[in-house]
Amino acid sequence: MSNNEYVVQMVGIAKVYPNGVAANQGVDFNVKKGEIHALMGENGAGKSTLMKMLFGMEQPTSGDIIVNGEKVNLTSPTVAISKGIGMVHQHFMLVPSLTVAENIVLGMEPKKGAFIDYKKAVEITEEYAKKYNLHVDANAKVIDIPVGMKQKVEILKALVRGAKILILDEPTAVLTTQETAELFKELVALKEQGYTIIFISHKLKEIKQITDRLTIMRAGKSMGIYETASITEQDISRLMVGRDVVLTVEKEKAQPTDVVLKVKDLEYTDSWNRKMLDKLSFAVRKGEILGIAGVEGNGQRELVEMLFNLNVPDAGSVTVNGTNIISMPQSKIRDLGVSLIPEDRMIYGIAASASIEENIMSDRYNKKKFNKGALFNMDAMHEESDQLIKDYLVRCKNRNQAVGMLSGGNIQKVVVAREFSADPVLIIADQPTRGIDVGATEFIRKKLVELSREGAAVLLVSADLNEVMELSDSLIVFYNGKIAAYFEDTSMLTDEIMGEYMLGLKKQTDEEIRRVCHE
Amino acid sequence: MNNKRMKMFEIIRGAAAILVALLVASILIFICSDKPFEALRYMLISPIFSNGSISMNSIYTILAAMTPIIFTGLAVCVMFSSNQFNMFGEGSVMLGGFIAALLGIYFSTGTYLDIIICVLGGAIVCGALMYIPAILKVKLGASEMVCSLMMNYIVMYVILHFLLNVFADGSKGTIQTYPFAATAHIPALVPGGSKLSWGFIVALIFTALVALFMYRTRWGYSIRMVGINQSFAKYSGMKVGGIVVLSQVIGGILAGMGGAIEVLGRFDTFLWRDLPGYGWTGITVAILAKNNPIFVPIAAFFIAYLNRGCTMMATYCDVPSEMADIIQAVVFLFFAAEQFLAKYRQKLVVAGAKEEIAQKNAAAEGGKA
Repeated sequence: MSNNEYVVQMVGIAKVYPNGVAANQGVDFNVKKGEIHALMGENGAGKSTLMKMLFGMEQPTSGDIIVNGEKVNLTSPTVAISKGIGMVHQHFMLVPSLTVAENIVLGMEPKKGAFIDYKKAVEITEEYAKKYNLHVDANAKVIDIPVGMKQKVEILKALVRGAKILILDEPTAVLTTQETAELFKELVALKEQGYTIIFISHKLKEIKQITDRLTIMRAGKSMGIYETASITEQDISRLMVGRDVVLTVEKEKAQPTDVVLKVKDLEYTDSWNRKMLDKLSFAVRKGEILGIAGVEGNGQRELVEMLFNLNVPDAGSVTVNGTNIISMPQSKIRDLGVSLIPEDRMIYGIAASASIEENIMSDRYNKKKFNKGALFNMDAMHEESDQLIKDYLVRCKNRNQAVGMLSGGNIQKVVVAREFSADPVLIIADQPTRGIDVGATEFIRKKLVELSREGAAVLLVSADLNEVMELSDSLIVFYNGKIAAYFEDTSMLTDEIMGEYMLGLKKQTDEEIRRVCHE
Repeated sequence: MNNKRMKMFEIIRGAAAILVALLVASILIFICSDKPFEALRYMLISPIFSNGSISMNSIYTILAAMTPIIFTGLAVCVMFSSNQFNMFGEGSVMLGGFIAALLGIYFSTGTYLDIIICVLGGAIVCGALMYIPAILKVKLGASEMVCSLMMNYIVMYVILHFLLNVFADGSKGTIQTYPFAATAHIPALVPGGSKLSWGFIVALIFTALVALFMYRTRWGYSIRMVGINQSFAKYSGMKVGGIVVLSQVIGGILAGMGGAIEVLGRFDTFLWRDLPGYGWTGITVAILAKNNPIFVPIAAFFIAYLNRGCTMMATYCDVPSEMADIIQAVVFLFFAAEQFLAKYRQKLVVAGAKEEIAQKNAAAEGGKA
């Protein structure tokens, strides 16, 4: 199997996490010596998992890893480092209260008797910094230095430990434009000295700028390895966000009426000081499905959190039928008729070890119908849950089965059954069919259309292009916390057009975008 | 994933924990005893069966020992169910007993109403004190575990202060309060001088009540949901902070009640000069019962039986009574250790996921064709 051209080969890698998520399914990956290789894909495509296995932080469930022609068993990062593999994490792993030099020699400190030879540590740091042209202040405390320098410290840390292959996990996500340009210069310099760099990213322009080859991942699988020079940005975007199995849903033309959800000038800056929502305004009307498309991490999650008071915006307003819902308790928001299918069903959607019935009852157990004095009216509860299990085709033994034991699709059906049966006036569906089987997907999509035609306002957030284009009556595209485009009619849209807006190659004018406020 | 397979796995895991614990105990007994088989007989069989007949007195002793730890076990069940690791059950037992004794001494009505007044008084004071760790947790994010743990010692020393300097019966050689009214004493359940009082029946009734509360009322339901997944509870519209407080107040009431019933049923005066230890045992009981109230009496029986067996072994044989603590610790260890047999659990999960993927692929191909 081994081939001298490649420094790293990963063959048929599969990874199943203890919670049952299959993050990698038979991935093949290889890197040539002395190249900058991009690993691309959306969040959740499995890139980080693949790289964690290469760095020994996770072990593959099956498959082989071959480094320098030798099959290796990377049981820990220490083993990976001994094979010459270093990793720079997206969230830096530095000790803030120590100096740069101390961080760089951490765990391999030069000794003078029983004490650390700090002078030697500074010497080592400065020697490497000079050799690789990575300028850092060896005596500064990490807490005081800018983000760009922290990253250089991380790279130096890996180099001092003898890394010949560097994995950089979304290195530019936390950098300014100038810092990014500097980083690229340094990476190219490293490459010229014979180092191999694996660069995780989903930013098209950067990839085109500095990489030699690239691997695209989607939904836990590799979509192939390409020469960067011979693939267009359009093709990359198609492979990254393209459609899988096309499922069509029959729907009549929407007859939207009054505005139900109104979002105005919403702003939010996260704890990493990144502007996740930037003066965001839009409206959803009764009887329509408004889709939000976009690569993940462009503010969709933050938006949904604001719509259900799971987070509070810095500025702006959110109203449902005229009532401001910012800082309103979730029980009141639900009383207004808002339902949410959360992005991560295991975190918000369900209590895994509780029964199906208990999960269905979570928003309505307080209602008069389900109580007889101090005690629950179990008959009413059984009737309700049995009816919903039947109506929503939840495949289970009975209502007492623990929800966590069901398949992903059936778990999602339980969530959907609860949310859709609460007579919602507004449904927020965040990635409603992520990671679930075809049957459940089709069922949930049909229900969503049905409810909108019966008069509910639906906001659909989805990274699945097929879903968002197929289901939405009109559609907005998120890019960098802003709306990049608004399409009133989705029937003429193509993947190519969408991809260009999603990856920031194009943007509509403010006038065009403002139409989505329906003012 | 296969539900039945996982459930079987849980049961096997529980049985394995007890077996391993007894195995370790046996090894220790073989090391420290000259007559190991006799010692094992005393530990395992003698508590209920000795000299060729069933030993009723010994059984009463076991049941009497179960009474306070059923209450503390229930208290811990309720608190742990909402994922609050509150340790004040221990202090609550002592305080509940102390308050009950004082009420029985100084506020006796001369009727059997005394018992109810004393028990409720002890329970309410302990429930009220639980607001301290609970509110600190909800409002300030202070660890309820640290806070409640420290409160045990504060409460103990405050009680000792009052016991020594204010309420001590000067005519007695030991430090204790005056005897409480005879009408405050909980009558024995069976005649013949055993310590088994009607408190045991009350404990069983409360087991049923707490089970009903946890599984058949909106408050118990929300406590459990908050415990399983707080984010889910919040998203569903539950008032998480209020529920967290509620569960700890109920825990305080139950533990305080247990202490009151223990003092009123077993003694005729208050004479605890140290934390009695029932609160700690309650944690073991709740963990063995997997936070399910219905299993609390069974777990309490297991612990009380083991204690009794070890006492007998220590009395009639050459094995020290500390053995009980070692066995309890080992059982506790194996139940608490989440990773115990985790490797096999992971294998089950992987097998389940593979099956699912295979099904999914099959379904997808079927769809295409």
